[in-house]
Amino acid sequence: MAFLEISHLDKSFGANRVVKDFNLSVEQGEFVSLLGPSGCGKTTVLRMVAGFETPSSGNIAIDGRDVVNLRPNQRNIGMVFQAYALFPNLTVAQNVAFGLKVAGRAKAETAARVTEMLALIGLPDLADRYPFQLSGGQQQRVALARALAVQPHLLLLDEPLSALDAKIRASLRTEIREIQQRLGITTVFVTHDQEEALSMSDRIVVMNGGMADQIGTPFEIYNRPRTRFVAGFVGTLSRFEAVVKDPAKGAVSLGKQTITLDQQIDAAAGARVTLALRPEAAHLGRFNGCDVILPGKIAEVHFMGSVIRIKADVDGQLMSLDTFNRAETPPPRIGTEVEISLAARDFIVLSA
Amino acid sequence: MIRIWSWGALIIGMIYFILPLVGMTEFSLSMRRGEYSFDAYAVVLSDSQFQATFSYSVIMALFTIVFGVLLVVPTAYWVRLRMPELRPYVEFITLLPLVIPAIVVVFGYIRLYNTSSWLPMTGTALGTNILLMFGYATLSLPYMYRAVDTGLRAVDVGTLTEAAQSLGASWVTILARIILPNVLAAVLSGAFLTFAIVMGEFTMAALLDRPAFGPYMQLLGANRAYEPSALAVIAFAITWACMGLIQLVTRFTKHTRAQT
Ligand SMILES: Nc1ncnc2c1ncn2[C@@H]1O[C@H](COP(=O)(O)OP(=O)(O)OP(=O)(O)O)[C@@H](O)[C@H]1O
Ligand SMILES: [Mg+2]
Repeated sequence: MAFLEISHLDKSFGANRVVKDFNLSVEQGEFVSLLGPSGCGKTTVLRMVAGFETPSSGNIAIDGRDVVNLRPNQRNIGMVFQAYALFPNLTVAQNVAFGLKVAGRAKAETAARVTEMLALIGLPDLADRYPFQLSGGQQQRVALARALAVQPHLLLLDEPLSALDAKIRASLRTEIREIQQRLGITTVFVTHDQEEALSMSDRIVVMNGGMADQIGTPFEIYNRPRTRFVAGFVGTLSRFEAVVKDPAKGAVSLGKQTITLDQQIDAAAGARVTLALRPEAAHLGRFNGCDVILPGKIAEVHFMGSVIRIKADVDGQLMSLDTFNRAETPPPRIGTEVEISLAARDFIVLSA
Repeated sequence: MIRIWSWGALIIGMIYFILPLVGMTEFSLSMRRGEYSFDAYAVVLSDSQFQATFSYSVIMALFTIVFGVLLVVPTAYWVRLRMPELRPYVEFITLLPLVIPAIVVVFGYIRLYNTSSWLPMTGTALGTNILLMFGYATLSLPYMYRAVDTGLRAVDVGTLTEAAQSLGASWVTILARIILPNVLAAVLSGAFLTFAIVMGEFTMAALLDRPAFGPYMQLLGANRAYEPSALAVIAFAITWACMGLIQLVTRFTKHTRAQT
């Protein structure tokens, strides 16, 4: 039995079914992200785990104990909110000490723990400041320290980085992950930012319309998306319509070419399937280890610094491809005829 | 042109308010013939009746404030947190004391709680005091509720509550340690208004026959010449001090928060 076990969770607000048969097992010490577009029910799942919403049906067990009927203040769960939610009338130290005080810990122990937590988040000098005297990033760190101070079983974070600007977001991302690993605390992290989810998580749950579309490691989710939704939502993809020739051998015809994929296809011969390709799997020119060469014409060039994202017109369909920037070779010009090489095994066949 | 008119309107308004005050103050100082003196004030302040009624009303005001805070803060908090759809109705109820005359309320009390009723509160002094305090709380409800509700609007009640809950806090802890301190400025301004109302209230105290400051002022006014003016100036000073304290508290709380 996993540390956090969510089974057949359902939640409706009136006639609006927001979470549908949601299942998830999180192991002790694991960092799991709920990733999905706005309104897909991520926050609702998290709030049910925290106890702020009651499930319409289903079970939530933490460390083998059913918590559905426990009140939020009995669940021993640390929670970090998008809006920081620091207590404005308390100093940083008092904020961090709040949970310990409520739990009736001794003064000396509380003080020691506060010092330890402030050191952990790298803000040992701000103990006497009030929340309004802190930057957003500092406030969110204090909120994290406050949640961790009581040594909760489980840490829940609901889009904690969304209100911050890009630079701080990136650095805080690493910091949160480091702290989580150092403490070994089981964590569920809600985000709609795929980059965040991919870079921080042990596993990702991609949610769509209240359901878990796919659960897997970032590597699996990115490289082997199981549904059209996951493929479209996580990372960039080029899609191609192809016709199945021989499902057992994995042969399809794409434009004028026939390509043999290294997998069987779950469709009848003559059926249309959608193939998807990550931009980094396609290369300009001839490239070692590539067994497919397609002619194309450069349609768009986006210079993004270390990476140049090119869109090429291949048989009337746009294909994205990424190349690394090199100082000695300028990016290709729009309208240039090029050859694009890729490996057939990199194609992803989208089922649903 | 418009400037002149608006200055004119302002000056007329000031005269309208200030002239009677000046007149009254002047009169209260002229007890001794031919020169200004504080004789009238000395008489009033040394009157044992004054001291008794004044302290009675101060104590009543303090109890009313405590009762009002305990009643209004949790109610306004709960309505904001869990029943936002009821807010207009609750607000309407709290405004009722402005349209229902105090005399109606107090007659209702007397009918309901007289000595031959199911709960004879008017039978004892303590019971009547409690009844009077309820009456005062009702009178101050519109001000207290509005002040607290406005204060609550400035804090993210829902998220702060959830943050506190996830840290293990009970409702009482949340109210006492998070909600109340964050609306303290609002609560205090409501409290000073309550204080001013209770100090000047006449109808309820008179009809319930309690030795309060309001009836004393009335009694003095009917029987003396200079003292009532002195008393009125004192009452004015109390009200104005309350208003000043509201301002001060609002500034003070912001100040300590900004300074540390
Ligand atoms: N208290 C509520 N009453 C009614 N509907 C609600 C309530 N809370 C959430 N919903 C609805 O449930 C759906 C899912 O909401 P939820 O907040 O879980 O989405 P989310 O995935 O967290 O989205 P976002 O990324 O925008 O935060 C939404 O359609 C929302 O309107
Ligand atoms: Mg959300």
